[in-house]
Amino acid sequence: MKVGLVSPYDFASPGGVTDHVRHLARQLRRLGHEVRVFAPSSRADVDFDSAEFYRIGSPISVPVNDSVARITLSFHLADRVAAIIERERFDVLHFHEPLMPALPITMLRMSTAANVGTFHAFAKSNIGYFYGRPLLEPYLAHLHRGIAVSEPAKAFVHRYFPDFALDVIPNGIDTSLFRPGYPPIRHLRDDKVNILFVGRLEKRKGLGYLLRGYEFMKPRVPNSRLIVVGDGPLRSSVESYISRRRLPDVVMAGYVPDSVLPRYYCSADIFCAPATGAESFGIVLLEAMATGLPVVATEIDGYMSVLEPSRDSLTVKPKGWAELGAALVILARDGDLRKRMGSYGIEKARRYSWEEVAVDVLSVYGEAQKARAQREAVGSREVINVHDAV
Amino acid sequence: MSEWRWRAFKAVQSLVERLPRPWAYALGVLAARFAWWFSPLARPRLEYNLKVACPELTREELKTLSWLNFRNHAKAYADLMMLPRMKVEAMRPLLHVDPKALGYLEEARAAGKGVMVVSCHMGSYEVVSAIWSATLAPVSLFAEELEPRALFEWYRDTRARLGISVLPLHLGGLRKVTQALHDQEMVVTAIDRDITGTGQMMPFFGRPAPIPLGPAAIAVRLGTPLLPVCVFRLPDDSYRAEAVPPVIAEPTGDTRADEVRVTQQLLRHIEEFIRRHPEQWHIPHRIWEGSP
Repeated sequence: MKVGLVSPYDFASPGGVTDHVRHLARQLRRLGHEVRVFAPSSRADVDFDSAEFYRIGSPISVPVNDSVARITLSFHLADRVAAIIERERFDVLHFHEPLMPALPITMLRMSTAANVGTFHAFAKSNIGYFYGRPLLEPYLAHLHRGIAVSEPAKAFVHRYFPDFALDVIPNGIDTSLFRPGYPPIRHLRDDKVNILFVGRLEKRKGLGYLLRGYEFMKPRVPNSRLIVVGDGPLRSSVESYISRRRLPDVVMAGYVPDSVLPRYYCSADIFCAPATGAESFGIVLLEAMATGLPVVATEIDGYMSVLEPSRDSLTVKPKGWAELGAALVILARDGDLRKRMGSYGIEKARRYSWEEVAVDVLSVYGEAQKARAQREAVGSREVINVHDAV
Repeated sequence: MSEWRWRAFKAVQSLVERLPRPWAYALGVLAARFAWWFSPLARPRLEYNLKVACPELTREELKTLSWLNFRNHAKAYADLMMLPRMKVEAMRPLLHVDPKALGYLEEARAAGKGVMVVSCHMGSYEVVSAIWSATLAPVSLFAEELEPRALFEWYRDTRARLGISVLPLHLGGLRKVTQALHDQEMVVTAIDRDITGTGQMMPFFGRPAPIPLGPAAIAVRLGTPLLPVCVFRLPDDSYRAEAVPPVIAEPTGDTRADEVRVTQQLLRHIEEFIRRHPEQWHIPHRIWEGSP
């Protein structure tokens, strides 16, 4: 099968959707399909061959959903994209965030292949979807099949487009990359209990509550350490908070490249995800589970679709830093509990491996192709009917 | 005092990491010029050390050499300050490893007992450590604990994100070194300066100097191959790594004598490296008796 994957986000900067596209492309290729990727990119050197990667437009930063999306807004790409579609003759075009300007939405309009759209995002509300509904609905009709990465993401799309059928296929994780047994970062692997946070340092990731929770925990469990992996706009204020409160044993690791990240997971004892909302899925949670870490997370919809509290995690109310601290204390003091939750997590994460996910995605591709064939059949019959009438 | 030094360092560092590489180097070289003019001790000490290493130098040559040395040192500092934003992929074109050195490294790794990379204060070890850490086996640096403490922690965290562990030179660190070697990882350390004050006096460039026996002691006890490596800066600001065949410490029964013998063997290689690139041997410290 010849598949085109379309992503609206900058391929050169890290992000959930970008990783999803990258892994899906690899896995599909491994299964013997021909894959092309379409995305804007701020750099020419992405880790795909130029024959397989179409760099469409250059990205600009747009603030959206308490975060920053790096998308392209060039609408003049249409000609180039049309030529590529004409030449490549895809069986399936798979759009990620299909209603995102400008790349997916432009391509969706001109595509003649079977179209599949995956909705990743989740938020309380979306002004674009709300006001754009009449405009976007005709675009949505071009999609033969829809996928949401989680129940909350599905519910989010249904709030605005209630009639659109969506299958839920979770994000995958690379279980060959995230597994226990990597050499730890030696100087972090001592008798201290390491708590790991991984994420962009921005408000919605809730690092502030984790810092307060850690402050609550530190006098109760003195041999503990907090490792913060990630960079972002809040970095300097996080650093000043740490030095102002004189929080001991906090390691600000900064942005850690993907090749080293598994070693950080293997250096930790507890994983903490304190996001306050607007997470559609907890990919970091799965990575942590696949490495055998127990999770302390907030009870937001995106995370709860992955977690099973008390089996692989302890969950607390969002923004409840004292509760968060207490949960950390419980786990930090109980090595057996950590081990039990960790091994359950490893088992569970296997279900989310890309091998499994790609199979599900392929079956949706098949359905989309069927749907397209049906629609065409219906369409041609209608024309015949018109002629009959004449 | 140390608090302020740390803050000053952090302020300069956060400026330098935002600069493009040539600008950061320009700033570094400017700072080096002032340090070279006005430093009360660093320059005399460095010149003394260089004179011992290369006695044939004339006064003029020595002066040029010490300036080049300061200049390279400043660039190494700039590299260090830019480290938090460096990416391993971006570093890859900066390193040229001598194919022979890779062969020696593989030979040492084949023993299955980890590798102790022994070297001197020359060039920059971050680049080579980060790349080897990403491609071969995890690398640890066995290094002194800097003062102030915050600076040391910063230094550690910025290396850790490139996959390099930094182990301090005390008992706890030593335990981790043996553990790392046991897991077939690589440990990088320098033996041209005795930091803990426990070194053994032995001839270094023909004059007695305290030299740490630590790496040799580990090699004698664990059978780890010792690989002398030198990394130096090329004129285009990339790095080249060279090595000599690994030194295997064969225990003869007398541990102390073995340690001294092996260390002396290593020192001969290190001397060779330094003599080839004296303009890169950044060591403005007291090594020999009689230094200013």
